[in-house]
Amino acid sequence: MNECKQAERLGAYHDGELSGAARAEMERHLRQCPSCAAELARLGRLSELFRAAAPKLSPAALRRFHDGIDTIPMADLRRVAEVVGAIAASILLVCSIWLVKGRPAIDVIPVWETVAVARQEMPTAAPEEELGQWMVQDLSGKNAND
Amino acid sequence: MEITDLELVGKARKGNSSAFHTLLDRHAAYLFSVAVSMVGSIADAEDVVQETLLGAFRGLRGFEGRSSVKTWLTSILIRQTAMRHRSLGRKQAASLESVAEVESGPSAAPRTEATDTRLDLMAAIRQLSPDHREVIVLRELSGLSYEEMAEALGVPRGTIESRLFRARRELQDRLHDYLV
Repeated sequence: MNECKQAERLGAYHDGELSGAARAEMERHLRQCPSCAAELARLGRLSELFRAAAPKLSPAALRRFHDGIDTIPMADLRRVAEVVGAIAASILLVCSIWLVKGRPAIDVIPVWETVAVARQEMPTAAPEEELGQWMVQDLSGKNAND
Repeated sequence: MEITDLELVGKARKGNSSAFHTLLDRHAAYLFSVAVSMVGSIADAEDVVQETLLGAFRGLRGFEGRSSVKTWLTSILIRQTAMRHRSLGRKQAASLESVAEVESGPSAAPRTEATDTRLDLMAAIRQLSPDHREVIVLRELSGLSYEEMAEALGVPRGTIESRLFRARRELQDRLHDYLV
């Protein structure tokens, strides 16, 4: 294997990635270093292998790619409809829970109201009426003794 | 004058789907060749490319034009490949024979030296580490510059150069008989 320190930049030179000055320096080096020159040749053959071996896309696969793009709008519409439906269902569920748990208890009567009603339902005789009854009873007893 | 990739993206963003189909025709073959080299099977490569194209179509608005369209598509392809590797638990993809099946249908000629060369090359590529495989496949099949590769992979330019150096050394060792 090529031990030359300049070998690390052979790939960049092969790929056309060296700037003008660096490229010129590498070209001078290659004229003097058989190891690097041999490795550069191997890099060239390696690239040829890749070019020759690159798999080809079949026409059927290319058609499937095109068809896939054409079906995106409908697929996206279905996805949006699913999301909107899920959101609507969630809102309905939350509202239902709120309505059931959050309604005030209208059948519960406050205690003070119960007491007030109870007092009104137990009327007592007026004090003047009681006094009148005693007076009649008392006067009846004196007339009898005269 | 031929319409540029950037102009096609602009048209596609405005709802012109035929512009995206034109982009697809320009780049699908290159994306496919990269994908096959990275996932190792024709069927998986087609799936990866399909997902890449769908992702690009949906993400047109996210393309800011800071890189070429080719680099942008390559970035998406690399992410799709990585996702596929994660979902498969980093298992090896289907047999390399599937690559030869492309050219070996009922009416195809018997297996040739070219097929053997392709299989040996693919086997050597598959033995590289994922980082080395990415850079050598992108460089040799896409023609992306080091700067574009650095952007697509999210690594410094110097990392691209050093990874390529190591990948090429490994391939020279494994494919020695083809390179003399």
